[in-house]
Amino acid sequence: MDPKVNGQLQREWGWLIATYLFLGGVGGGAYTIAAINSFLGESLELSTTVGLWIAFPALLVGTLFLIADLGSPSRAVLAGMKPRTSWIARGTWIITIFMILSFLHLILHQFTTVGEAAGGATAINIIAVGGIVFAIGTMAYTGILLGASKGIPFWRTGVVPVVFVISAVVTGHFAIMLGVTLLSNTADTLVPLRTMALEAAGLVILEVLAILFFLQAAFRQPDPRESAERILRKRMFVIGYFVLGLAVPLILMIVVYRSAPDAAAAGMFPAITIGALLGLLGGLILRQAVLICGALPTLNMAGFEFRRIHRPKEPKPDIGMLPPQ
Amino acid sequence: MPRYGMVIDLKRCYGCYACSMACKTANHTPPGVFWARVLMGEVGTYPNAVRQALPVLCMQCEEPSCMEVCPTGATQKRDDGIVIVDKEKCMGCKYCIMACPYGARYSVEEWESYFPDGLPLTPLEEFQKKAWEEKSGVGVATKCDFCLDRITNGKEPACVEACPAKARIFGDLDDPNSEVSILIKKERGQVLNPEFGNKPKVYYLLPR
Amino acid sequence: MAVTPQIPVEEDVWIPTSCGQCYCMCGIKARRQNGVITEVMGNPDAPTGRGHICVKGLAAPQLLYDPYRVNYPLKRTNPEKGLGVDPKFVRISWDEALDIVVGKLKECHERDPRGAFFQATTTQASEIRFGVIGFMKGFGTPNYWVSGGGLHCGNGAHFMNGSMHVAWSIIPDFAHCNYALNFGCSKGHGAGHVAVQNATQVADARARGFENVVFDPFQSAQASKAHEWVPIRVGTDGALALGLVNSLLNEHGIYDAEYLMYKTNAPYLIRPSDGRYMRDGDTNKPLVWDLVDNCPKVHNDPSVTRVEYEDVAHEVALRGTYNVNGTECRPAFELLKEHVKKYTPEYVEKITYVPAATVSRIAKEFGEAAEIGSTVTIETSKGPKKIPKRPVATHFFRGSQGHTNSGWTCLSIDMVNHIVGAADTYGSSMGLGAAVCSGYEGTGKPYQIPYPCPDGLLVAGAWVYDHKPYPMRVPKPPTRLDLHDMFPTSIYNAFTITDPRWFEMLERFDIPYRPDVMINFGSNSVMTMGNSETVTENFLKKFNFIFSFQLYITEFEEAVADIVFPDTCFLERYTPAVSFPSTFSHPQGEDDWGWTIRQPVVEPLFERRDFNEVMVDICKRMGIHGNFYKGLNDSIGVRYGGEMNEKYKLVENGSVFHSWEDITDRLLKDRFGDDHGLEDVRKKGVFTWPKKKEDVYWKWFNPSRVPIYFEYFIDSGEQIDKLWNEYGGKDFFDFDWSRFKALADWYPCPTHTEKNPEYDMHTFYWRAVMHCNSMTQQNPYLDECGQEDPNVYAVQMHVDTAKKKGIADGDKVWLENPQGHRVRGWVSLSEGIEPSHLAIAAVAGHWGKFMPIAKGKGTFFNDLVEMDLGHTDPLTFNQDICARVKIYKAEE
Repeated sequence: MDPKVNGQLQREWGWLIATYLFLGGVGGGAYTIAAINSFLGESLELSTTVGLWIAFPALLVGTLFLIADLGSPSRAVLAGMKPRTSWIARGTWIITIFMILSFLHLILHQFTTVGEAAGGATAINIIAVGGIVFAIGTMAYTGILLGASKGIPFWRTGVVPVVFVISAVVTGHFAIMLGVTLLSNTADTLVPLRTMALEAAGLVILEVLAILFFLQAAFRQPDPRESAERILRKRMFVIGYFVLGLAVPLILMIVVYRSAPDAAAAGMFPAITIGALLGLLGGLILRQAVLICGALPTLNMAGFEFRRIHRPKEPKPDIGMLPPQ
Repeated sequence: MPRYGMVIDLKRCYGCYACSMACKTANHTPPGVFWARVLMGEVGTYPNAVRQALPVLCMQCEEPSCMEVCPTGATQKRDDGIVIVDKEKCMGCKYCIMACPYGARYSVEEWESYFPDGLPLTPLEEFQKKAWEEKSGVGVATKCDFCLDRITNGKEPACVEACPAKARIFGDLDDPNSEVSILIKKERGQVLNPEFGNKPKVYYLLPR
Repeated sequence: MAVTPQIPVEEDVWIPTSCGQCYCMCGIKARRQNGVITEVMGNPDAPTGRGHICVKGLAAPQLLYDPYRVNYPLKRTNPEKGLGVDPKFVRISWDEALDIVVGKLKECHERDPRGAFFQATTTQASEIRFGVIGFMKGFGTPNYWVSGGGLHCGNGAHFMNGSMHVAWSIIPDFAHCNYALNFGCSKGHGAGHVAVQNATQVADARARGFENVVFDPFQSAQASKAHEWVPIRVGTDGALALGLVNSLLNEHGIYDAEYLMYKTNAPYLIRPSDGRYMRDGDTNKPLVWDLVDNCPKVHNDPSVTRVEYEDVAHEVALRGTYNVNGTECRPAFELLKEHVKKYTPEYVEKITYVPAATVSRIAKEFGEAAEIGSTVTIETSKGPKKIPKRPVATHFFRGSQGHTNSGWTCLSIDMVNHIVGAADTYGSSMGLGAAVCSGYEGTGKPYQIPYPCPDGLLVAGAWVYDHKPYPMRVPKPPTRLDLHDMFPTSIYNAFTITDPRWFEMLERFDIPYRPDVMINFGSNSVMTMGNSETVTENFLKKFNFIFSFQLYITEFEEAVADIVFPDTCFLERYTPAVSFPSTFSHPQGEDDWGWTIRQPVVEPLFERRDFNEVMVDICKRMGIHGNFYKGLNDSIGVRYGGEMNEKYKLVENGSVFHSWEDITDRLLKDRFGDDHGLEDVRKKGVFTWPKKKEDVYWKWFNPSRVPIYFEYFIDSGEQIDKLWNEYGGKDFFDFDWSRFKALADWYPCPTHTEKNPEYDMHTFYWRAVMHCNSMTQQNPYLDECGQEDPNVYAVQMHVDTAKKKGIADGDKVWLENPQGHRVRGWVSLSEGIEPSHLAIAAVAGHWGKFMPIAKGKGTFFNDLVEMDLGHTDPLTFNQDICARVKIYKAEE
């Protein structure tokens, strides 16, 4: 029997949902960047390819994580029944359409010559525009899902979608950098990679600002404050996310950007690989930490505050000894 | 068609947990699941500190946020105002649990025994597991339904019948002569955290 | 796991019976669906509960089917006994188990039958009046105790309430009371004492504006619902009560002269030489002073007696000095009034921590709310009658009386009622339980009408024990293992049997036999008494052989039992009488009388057998079952309001073997006529008949008086002192027999006199609603429910005190008493507790490996309870159930 802890934490959503939200973000972010790059031209061809190869599989795998979390996975087909009021239903449609678009884009980009045909580029561009819209929708959805949860005051803010969208772009960006680095570690690639490192640094700084804003906003209200305090007590969040997931990648990206173009180029690839991996991991940890620190609101009646006693799900008692049968 | 609601008189309630237990035994809820719960609060400093119990259950909201967020339409509000979960439609996404500010919903993946793992189910547990699965299903969201099966048979919800302090009154909010309507009017019944905007149908009478 | 008989499919029935989760034993109905008990709810037909039910009763189905229940007879194969010893139990057959037990009992019977010792639980209060009493009488042993019950609660309260209200307990007439003072008890707030019906009554009362002032060191359930919570230091309630008496009499001048004159011994003239009554030379009756005729009269002279309120009589003196045959005498009231003067509000504040102004104010509020002089007309069986209306009451129980000042504390608290005439009348303090009953009209039974002794004082019409609380027993040379016969007030005591010099003591007091065979029914005395090691080493291990009827293998069975019988739980057995006699199982108030029974709702599962049935079987195998039945026949008279008719008496010559169904049927037919035997009563689980108003508000219909001056204690004290010294008892204990005196006083407990400043915290236990008066901790429903309350498994501590000691919410701590006994727990911080106190709930902290749900939950408070003279009340032998401790953080 553990001592009491006030404020009942939600225990229903954990790693599976965090991974789903994370992969949705990575997919959306990677696609958005890839699609924009594809508009911008030849020099970023590889990053477009990598981005497309990341987006669709990430969404597919992410969706599998969601289904794995369902109590009745066989009824997943019903998920889109009520888009009029339910964000999960809306999200189902958004992600589904996005998956179709990103898949089409990938196929057209990779396995056909449509892009080279007259008019073909336009078709791809139309898909890309639609894809970007739904990619942003997907990224935003992963945050709005939480932001619209009335039962968890910590999540219930417009800042969560903003944080999640920025984080989605950051992780998508890192995912592409990682892919590019792994596929092509020649000095040529280092040039665009250094640009991307600068972009990454900028995005990370943006994320730092967003998360700080999110936390300070949380500290202003009693219930979210308790969750915020809880998240700041979590080593996973402070070290895993803040230090390893944001600070270290930021430093590495700045180092990569500021490195002389020719000198020790080889050393840059591991730096990018490590930075990107940590950045990705950070994105996952962020979502998990936000999820598990969500707690039910305090109820008020007659001047009393009623907070549910949080009971960590106790392991069942040892079987002990049964009386001789 | 009645519109069912409940009044919980905090003057009478002394926090005995009978409602919690009556609910558990009438509905065979597994470990950790309390459709009817009792929360304890304390306010003030010594020697003027005072404690109060607050029984909570599904508020059967007029505007249930759980129903709003349900992607499949499994959560529905009946004509009599009782919010129910269609166990055949729920896919177990648990979003409704995140949407209920009163914490009234529980997700039950599988009916579990209270006793250590490795023991066969007792005859009671076998019965309970079966009854639970028939009524609430498996892997879906569950919640209080004002003991729908009992009230359709002319009984009161189990928590109301058990309450030694007669602190819980069940009835038709649309009938101005029902005990619940009279009490709400006479003693200015309040709902819990009206700022949530859910318009609960469980009213509380103040403790003093 | 196999279940015995398969019942027809699609069965769904509700069977009325009585709960057995605690001694309240409310009327319940159990739902049986296809042979499985699935639900328990209240029985609306039973006045005990009226369809409502508490958390423990609701959770009962789990008790029936718990896989850790003992289902087969077990034999200990490890000869070693003690705490933490593995008993190495093996399953044996019923025949083998009974052969062993009967063999041991026969040997014991040959040596000396008195070597058999019955230990029982108070939880099964109705069962113990059959199997235990029948066996004791049949076998011929006087040695008995209910472990924990009595010593923690009751030696003081039941004795005193029995003397003052002919009832097991007292309670406000919630239906009409306006203002009550609650001294450390949870009546009407969950734990104990007709729990369900009282909760309904007190909730109704609260709803109409009833004010309850609660004196308690912490925000208990009752304090949280109180009109006013007054924190008080543990064990000082008696001082506060005397402060209130003083404030009423000497500060505000409020008292009910009419009541004191005609319903108490307040006017009895006391001679100054020895404090005894001034008696009439011819009749030897105590005298009062007739103010009209200006002469002494005997107390029951018609001219100075008012039985009913509307009777007319002369006024008698309560004040002044009167010359009777040359002796200057003063009325007892005058002496009391003088005596309590030292309990000034300021003096009381020092003892109790209750501010002087509060003492004075509450006395005034109480006195004014009593509406002295007001009356009400009630409809009695003899037409409308006017009686006093006194809508105030004090009530108390475990919290205030579990101390070394138990006896006087109980009497002092109740005296507040008698000062304002608020006893057993409309709105006042009432005896609780089936106290005064004129019987079912068809048979006149159960007849339980109190009557006056020759001195005019109240004598109970029926009682739970063979000996009534008043007149007190005369101390006699001891024959019992706890020397009980010497002590006139107690039911049993612990300081003798748990003393390391117990056998030496037996030698000295000429007890020719020694403890031999212990029979345990449902008790876990290793945990329920006091320090577990003291109980086990000094007491339990002294028995040659112990067999136990039990539901689980508790710490007791693990430590010392040789044979364990798989008992049925209350859902699997018959009990002929549940709500009677007067204990905690019949509600007070104007609702009907109800005689509840217990009937099995399922056949016993596995090889479980009912305790009562097995006791008869054992007696049969010993050839003493006729004596067993005789014992029951003999005990029914005093306990159940009248002797059995010859027609229904159990056959005493051994030619008949009565089933418990038959015994139930006979008792019912005897009480309620041939039409209302078991066949009839089992349909509703209860037999009800209307209660007469004069049974409820009996005070002004009965010719008896109650004492406010305990003259008879003086004799008792002198008698014990003499006897004690004859045996050289002083070599063992230097008892303060001077506490046997006529006027109430407050005495400090060891908790209050502890000199070592390191032990700076008072600690006490409280009764959590899901874990009280029962064996609940292994019930997974109730265990989970306990975890829902932030305080049930915690040590409650004040925020500021914790801060000073560097202890944080949730910290694991040790509590250690000055004798070096310590217990572990974790702290829950609160503002709702007196800063020098620590509150712990229930008998928790189980360690037995056969009870995995209970194991490791909460704190084992009783391990801090010392069982010795220093912690015993000389007047009643109640134990001291508070402790001074130091608290410090535990290593993780």
